[in-house]
Amino acid sequence: MKKLLVVDDEEEICDFLKAFFEEREFDVHTAHSGAQALDSVKSASPQVVLLDVHMPGMDGMSVLRQIKQGYPGVKVIMVTAIETQEKIEEAMRLGADNYITKPLSLEYLEKDVQEKISLLTGKK
Amino acid sequence: MGLYLKKRKRFLKKVLLGLILFSSGAAVFSALSLFLKQRAGLLWISHPLFLLLMMTLVSVTLYKPLDSAVTQIFRNYFNRKKTFRQITLMNLAEELALILDLKELANLIVNSFGEVLQLKTVALAVPCRMRGDFEITAAYGWSVSDYRKIRLPDSSAMLTFLRQNGPHVQVRERAVRMMSWQDANKLTQDFDALRAAWIIPLYVKDELTGFLAFSAFSPDAVFDESDFQFFREFARGVAKSIRNALSVQELKAANHELQDIQSQLIQSTKIKAIEQLATGIAHEIHNPLTIISGKAQVLLLKKDRAALDQQVEEVLKTIVKQTKRAADITRKLLMFSQGSGAPKEPLKLEQILDDTIALVSYQTSLDGIEIAKTIGSGIPRFYGNVHELREVFLNLILNAVQSIGSQGRIHVEMVYQAVDEILTVQISDTGPGIDQDHIEKLFNPFFTTRHDAVGLGLFVTKQIVHRYGGSIRVESQKGSGSLFIVRFPITASSQPIAQREEAVPLSLFPEGL
Repeated sequence: MKKLLVVDDEEEICDFLKAFFEEREFDVHTAHSGAQALDSVKSASPQVVLLDVHMPGMDGMSVLRQIKQGYPGVKVIMVTAIETQEKIEEAMRLGADNYITKPLSLEYLEKDVQEKISLLTGKK
Repeated sequence: MGLYLKKRKRFLKKVLLGLILFSSGAAVFSALSLFLKQRAGLLWISHPLFLLLMMTLVSVTLYKPLDSAVTQIFRNYFNRKKTFRQITLMNLAEELALILDLKELANLIVNSFGEVLQLKTVALAVPCRMRGDFEITAAYGWSVSDYRKIRLPDSSAMLTFLRQNGPHVQVRERAVRMMSWQDANKLTQDFDALRAAWIIPLYVKDELTGFLAFSAFSPDAVFDESDFQFFREFARGVAKSIRNALSVQELKAANHELQDIQSQLIQSTKIKAIEQLATGIAHEIHNPLTIISGKAQVLLLKKDRAALDQQVEEVLKTIVKQTKRAADITRKLLMFSQGSGAPKEPLKLEQILDDTIALVSYQTSLDGIEIAKTIGSGIPRFYGNVHELREVFLNLILNAVQSIGSQGRIHVEMVYQAVDEILTVQISDTGPGIDQDHIEKLFNPFFTTRHDAVGLGLFVTKQIVHRYGGSIRVESQKGSGSLFIVRFPITASSQPIAQREEAVPLSLFPEGL
């Protein structure tokens, strides 16, 4: 089963993404903070993580760094309210697999997530 | 001011004097001989030698008083003309004090001086603070293009010479004669350049505020000491007026500069404030927008679409569309504050322009708007960010489309002037034009005349154009369309400085919905 972790401090955002991807037969886990996200990566071992950049406490960038260090096989898609060039470059340097802005286009997001997963399964 | 009449005058005087002396001698002789012959019967009186003696006697006794009398008569006659000219010029000098515009003042001076004295050329040179040299501001008997070219550096022979000699009127021949040949040569060149036979320096106290250089039609023309005396007096008045006008000009320039700096400051403060505001708004608003749009999309993209009511589907689509529109506003606001870091690459601007026109062509064909395009040859690659430049073209074309409304023509032109290394894009429309008092505000953030627009398009456009070292301006008149002219310098921005280490693929910027 395709496993997805959605990380956002806004519960409502996690909720609709969960509903959306569950309808598409994903096993969706959610986390509302950086710390929770790292726990979930460890316990649920998702294939793809949708990671919000701006979160109170540990922000998306440090979560990204730790995921990529500990679990290099996990694909991470960064989600943010504003795109700045520096942030994009920083994310790319840390190994992010894509960088998308809010409001989200679910069609695009679904396509992207599917693509990342097929990349993973293709490798295997 | 006898001018070149002077030598002729002297000749005339001599002739007149001779005639008077001769006739008076002859008169005295005939009277005397008649008298002496009748009364005394002295016949030797009629001897030619006696005639000669009489003539000589009369000449010697009468020469002095007659000469001064004739001179007096001459002076009275010619001086009436001369005084009239002097009065005209002195009146002028007084009036000049009231004119504060340098150009107007200079023109009045050279034209009056030239016409009253019937000169061939007159040029007025004044110091140019910015470049530290002297330039001709106005000239009489010159073509504009000729005198515009002339500049005298502060160290030139002429200026050094005038500074050394104070407020005296300088005569070309006399000045050159007193110098070593090298110096004379340089000075002659300056006199030639100024087409001058005479120079009147204009001094205010010790400061040389300019000079009048002039020449006469006849090469024999001469001025005398009293003329020079008058010139100096005239120069005093003129110099003061010019000093005033120069001060006013400097004040104006300083004032403009200050206004420019001030408006830049206001603009940059505004931008800073908008940037902060936009960043805050983007964070705070994009999340709720994401939720609204996301939930609507979840419903829209439900697997069993049949369950969805047609009307509900329309509503959901509208929700998604409008949340995107709201998000675009903050994104546009942010664009200009972050653009400097946007990835650049060599671009085909003509291609981007084509794409942009294609993007709007569907809408414009519905509205009956025709878009014509002229692309010049030899357009070089432009080093820039594709999104920014597309934004520029799109905003300008959309602006034209919206100002026309329906039925009209847009003409887009792109040319490259290799000489100036400038790429020009002109977008003209047949819309209703822009009010004169709107033109200045056109590029201000949130300025719009349409109730359905945010007023950021042209603002963002200007910010982007400026970022590439370019300029944008608009020409428009109410009722006769508008013309937007964008100019990009190619040298500064088109050369890739260094290949970026991390080229960010374009797919990183999803176009969203």
